[in-house]
Amino acid sequence: MSERTAITEAKKGSAELLILALVEEQDRHGYDIARLIEDRSGGTLTFTLASLYTSLYRLEARGWIRGRWIERPGVRRRRYYRITEAGRRLLATQRQDWGRFLTALREVAGVTFA
Amino acid sequence: MNRESPPPIDWKAFVTGHARRAGADLAPATIEELAAHLDDLYAGARASGAPHEVALRRAERALEASALGTLPVRAEPRTRSAPPISPSTSRSLFVIYDLRMALRQFRHHPAFALLTVIVLGLGIGAAAAVYTIVDGVVLKPLPFRAPDRLVTLWDTNYEQGLRQERVSPVNFMDVRALHGTFEDAAAWWRPDVNLTDNALEPVRVKTIEVSANLFQLLGVTPQVGPGFPADGPFYDRQLIAVISDRLWRERYNADRSIVGRQIRLNDTPYTVVGIMPPRFAFPDDVDVWERLQWDLTQHSRAAHFMETVARLAPGITVDQAARDTAALADRLAASFPATNRAWSTRVVPLLESQLGFYRPALLVLLGAVLLLMLIGVFNVAGLLLTRSLDRRRELAVRVALGASPLRLVRELIAESGVLSAAGGAVGLLLAWGLVQVIVATMPVAIPRLDQVSLNWRVAAVVVGVITAMTLGFGLVPSLLMVRQRRASTLRDGDRTSTASGRLAHRALVVAEVALACALVTASALLVKSVAALVAVPSGVSSAGVLTANLQLTGPAYRDWAQVDAFYAAYLDRLRQAPGVAAAGATTFLPFESGWRIAFDIVGRPNPRPEDAPIAQHFSVTDGYLETLAVPLVDGRTFTTRDTVATPGVVVVNAAFAKQFFPGERAVGQHLRSHVTVIGPMGRNLLVDQPFEIIGVVGDAANAPPGRPVEPAIFHTARQFPYRSLDIVVRGADAAALQGALRSALRETNSALPLDRVQMLDARFDQLSAQPRLLMRLLIAFGALAVALAIVGIYGLLSWTVTSRTRELAVRLSLGARPVDVGRLVMTQGLVLASAGLAAGWLVIVAAGPLLARVLFQVSPIAALPMAAGGAAILVCAAVSTLIPAVRASRTDPVTVLKSE
Repeated sequence: MSERTAITEAKKGSAELLILALVEEQDRHGYDIARLIEDRSGGTLTFTLASLYTSLYRLEARGWIRGRWIERPGVRRRRYYRITEAGRRLLATQRQDWGRFLTALREVAGVTFA
Repeated sequence: MNRESPPPIDWKAFVTGHARRAGADLAPATIEELAAHLDDLYAGARASGAPHEVALRRAERALEASALGTLPVRAEPRTRSAPPISPSTSRSLFVIYDLRMALRQFRHHPAFALLTVIVLGLGIGAAAAVYTIVDGVVLKPLPFRAPDRLVTLWDTNYEQGLRQERVSPVNFMDVRALHGTFEDAAAWWRPDVNLTDNALEPVRVKTIEVSANLFQLLGVTPQVGPGFPADGPFYDRQLIAVISDRLWRERYNADRSIVGRQIRLNDTPYTVVGIMPPRFAFPDDVDVWERLQWDLTQHSRAAHFMETVARLAPGITVDQAARDTAALADRLAASFPATNRAWSTRVVPLLESQLGFYRPALLVLLGAVLLLMLIGVFNVAGLLLTRSLDRRRELAVRVALGASPLRLVRELIAESGVLSAAGGAVGLLLAWGLVQVIVATMPVAIPRLDQVSLNWRVAAVVVGVITAMTLGFGLVPSLLMVRQRRASTLRDGDRTSTASGRLAHRALVVAEVALACALVTASALLVKSVAALVAVPSGVSSAGVLTANLQLTGPAYRDWAQVDAFYAAYLDRLRQAPGVAAAGATTFLPFESGWRIAFDIVGRPNPRPEDAPIAQHFSVTDGYLETLAVPLVDGRTFTTRDTVATPGVVVVNAAFAKQFFPGERAVGQHLRSHVTVIGPMGRNLLVDQPFEIIGVVGDAANAPPGRPVEPAIFHTARQFPYRSLDIVVRGADAAALQGALRSALRETNSALPLDRVQMLDARFDQLSAQPRLLMRLLIAFGALAVALAIVGIYGLLSWTVTSRTRELAVRLSLGARPVDVGRLVMTQGLVLASAGLAAGWLVIVAAGPLLARVLFQVSPIAALPMAAGGAAILVCAAVSTLIPAVRASRTDPVTVLKSE
C-alpha cells in the first residue's frame, strides 16, 4: 500500500470526525469546512466537492447534523450546518476511538505526531 | 494599472453545465450549495492575489476533480429558516422526496414510464368498464321484492328437442296450484295491440295481457293510481289496464287525469287504473299491461303461448321447485297423454331467464378482460423486474456510498406507486369513457344496460388490486436485489448470476403467453361459432326483401271476408307500386316457428290422439312463397282460384313430404287438420273438410338456427284468414319499398299502423347479433393480449441476451457459429411460448362449460380454433424472438471479453 493510499483510506474513515468536530465549534457552511480542514491539516487532508457534500448529506440524513439556509443582506445565500445532540454523542465516541487508535499506532508502529 | 473587473460569474449555470456533462442529476439545492462553495473558493483565491483566470481555473479544477455522479441527488425543505422537524413531518417529507425521485427517474426514462402507464391504464380501464357492466346487468339484484325468490317457468319437450317453450295456460294453472312450492305465480301472453285515441295517431304498443296478481307478486306498485285491485280476481271481464311511465309522458303529456279515463286498445275501451314508475320494465319494455280477461283453465293443454313468473314458497329452492314441477309433469303426462306426453317444466331464476344469452356472454367477457388485465400486470411486472435488474449496478454504487437499503426499497416502491397511480388515473378515465360509449352505442338491446354508469366502488377495487400487484412486483425484485447486493455486485457486475431474476422473468412470460393463448383461442372459437350461425341456410332468398307487420282491429274487420278482402286489396296495390317486384304475407317469417298442431292423413288408420303427427301450421297469402323464392319441388302453389268456396288445399314443405310420405308422392294426398281457431286472431274456415296437398316446396327455416327444419303445412289465407300478418315485399330499392308499403296502406286504410319495418336480411342478422358482438369484443381483447405478450416476450429475450452477452461471447470464441447462438436464443423463446401455449389450452378446457353456453355448434375444445389460436401465438412468439436472436448472433466476442 503506497503512502498516498494510506492517507486516502484514512481520510475516508475520518471524514465524519473532522466535519463533526468543525461544526461543533460553530455553525459552518461547506466551503468553510473544506477550507478549515485543508488549512489546519497543512494541506494533507483535502476533500473533493463530491466527497465533502456526500459526507455532509449522509451525516444529515442520519440526524447527526442539520443544515439550514441562511441569508444575510449583501451576502450569497449559504447552507449552514449545525451539530445535533446525537451528533455530539457520536463525536465524543469517535474522539475516544480515534484517540485509542492513534495511541495504538504510536505504540505499535512507532508513528509519531508531526 | 487599471484592470477591468471581470464579468460576474453565474456559478449555478457553471455547476449545472458541468453536472450535465458528467451525467449527474443534482437537486437544485445541491447545485446552489455547490455554487456557493465555488463562489467562496473563487473569492478566496482572488483575495489571496490570484488573477481572475487563475481563480476561475481553481474553481473549475475543484469541480472537475469531483465525481459528481456519486453525489446523491437530494431534496430538502425550501424554508429559509427551517422550523423544528417533528418525526411525523420528517416521514412525510421522505415520502415527498421519494415521489420526486421517482418522477425524476421517469423523466429520464419516458418510454418505460409511458409504456407502463398505458399498459396499466388499458388493463384497468377495460376491466373496470366490463366489470361495471357485469355488475349492473348481471350481479345487481332486480328491483323487485326479494328478487332472488322469483323464477320463471318454461315448458320443455325432450322428444321434440324443445328446451325452452312457453307454457300452456291450463298446465300453468296446475303448476300454480302447487302451494307448497310456489307462493304465487302470474302468467301473460303478448297480444298485438293497436292504440287508437280520438285525435292521436294510431300506434302499435307493446302489450301483455297478464293475470291481475303480477304487480303484487313482484312487490311493485304504480306511481299513480291503484293498479289492479289488490287480492282481486285472477282474471275479470271488466277491461282495465296499467300503462308505462314512458307511454304516459310521451302520449299523454304526463297528465295524471289519464287514470280513470278510457283508452282504446284494438278499438276496445279499457279504463286506465295505474301508471307504473319510471324504469319499471317487466317482463321487458312493455307499455300496456291489460288485466287478464279469460279463464286460463278453459284453454288447451296443447297450446304453449303463456309466459310466467312465480315466487318460490319460503324455504323452497330452485332445485326443489324443479323436482316438484317435474313430478307434476309426470302426473299430467299420465292423465293427459294426448297433450302432455314428453312435456315437462323448467324452473329458471328470473334474472337468468331475463338475461338469456347475456349472462354467460358477459361472464365470458369478464373472464376475458380479467385475463387481459393479468397480462397487463405481468407485462408491467416484467418491465419493472428488467429495470431493477438493470439498475442493480447503480443501486449498488449508492449503497456503497452509504445509502441505506431501506431507502432504496422505499424509492423503488415509490416508483411503483407513481406508476400505479398514473395507470389508475388513465384507467379510470378510460373506464368512464368506455362505459359511456358502450351504453350509447350497443348495437343489441341488453337488459338493464341503459341503467349502467361507472361504478366507482368497482373501479376503486380494480385500481386497488392493480396497485397492490404493481407494488408487489416493484418490491419483490428490490428485496431480491438488496439481499444479493452487499459489496459483491459492484465488483462482479454483470457476471453475477441473475438466475432468480431470469426465473421470475420466464414464469412471467409463460403466464402471459398462456393467458394470451386462452384469449386468442376463445375468440377463434367465437369466430367459428358465428361463421356456423351465419352459414345456417334460411332456405329463402332474403336479398332485397322488406318486411313489416300489420294488424287489423276494430269492427271493420270483424268479418273474415273483410280480413281477406283487406289483404288482397293491400297486396294488389303494393304489387302495382313502382319498384315492387313481388309481395305477399305470412303468419311467421323464416326462423320463426308456426303453430305446432296435430293432423291426420286421410286413408291411414287413425292413430291414438297422443300419437297424432304434429306439424307446424302457417297461413300465407298468394305470392308469399314466390316473393321469398322458396323453390317449388312438386305440384303448384296457391292461386286466386283457391278460395273459401273451393275445396281445401295446402302446400307442405320437403321435410313434411320426406317424413310422412317417404317413397310416395305427397301431392294429391289429403290431410285433416286439427287446427280450428287461433284465439281471436284467426280461424280455419274449412275445419271439417280434408285438405288436398297441391304442392311441395323447399325447406325454409322454421326454427331457431341450430334446429332442423320441422315438417310444415301452409294454408292459404283465404281459407285460413289471420288478422295479423307479416308483409314481405321484394324490390331493388329499399327506400322505394318503404314508400310503397306506406302509400299502399294509406290508400287501403289510413288508420292502421305499420310495425317493425325492417329488411329481412337485417332480421336474419339479429339472429347472430349477440354472438357477433361477443366475437368482436373477444377479437379486440385477443389482439390486445397478443400485442402485450409480444412486448413481454421481446422484453424478456432482449434482456436475457444482454445479461448473457459474456456467456454468448465465450460460446462464440469457443467455436460456436453465430447462427447457433441465434438459434439458442430463439429456441429458448419458443420453448417458453410452447409451455405457455399448453397452459393456455388448459385455461380454455377449464372455461369450457361457460364457453359452451355462448357457442353455436362448436365444442369449446374444438381442434381447429385451438390450433389456430396456438399457431397465432407461436408465430407472434417467433417474430418477437427474432430481433434478440439476431442481436445475440452478432455478439462480438473480442470486444465483450476485452471489456471484462
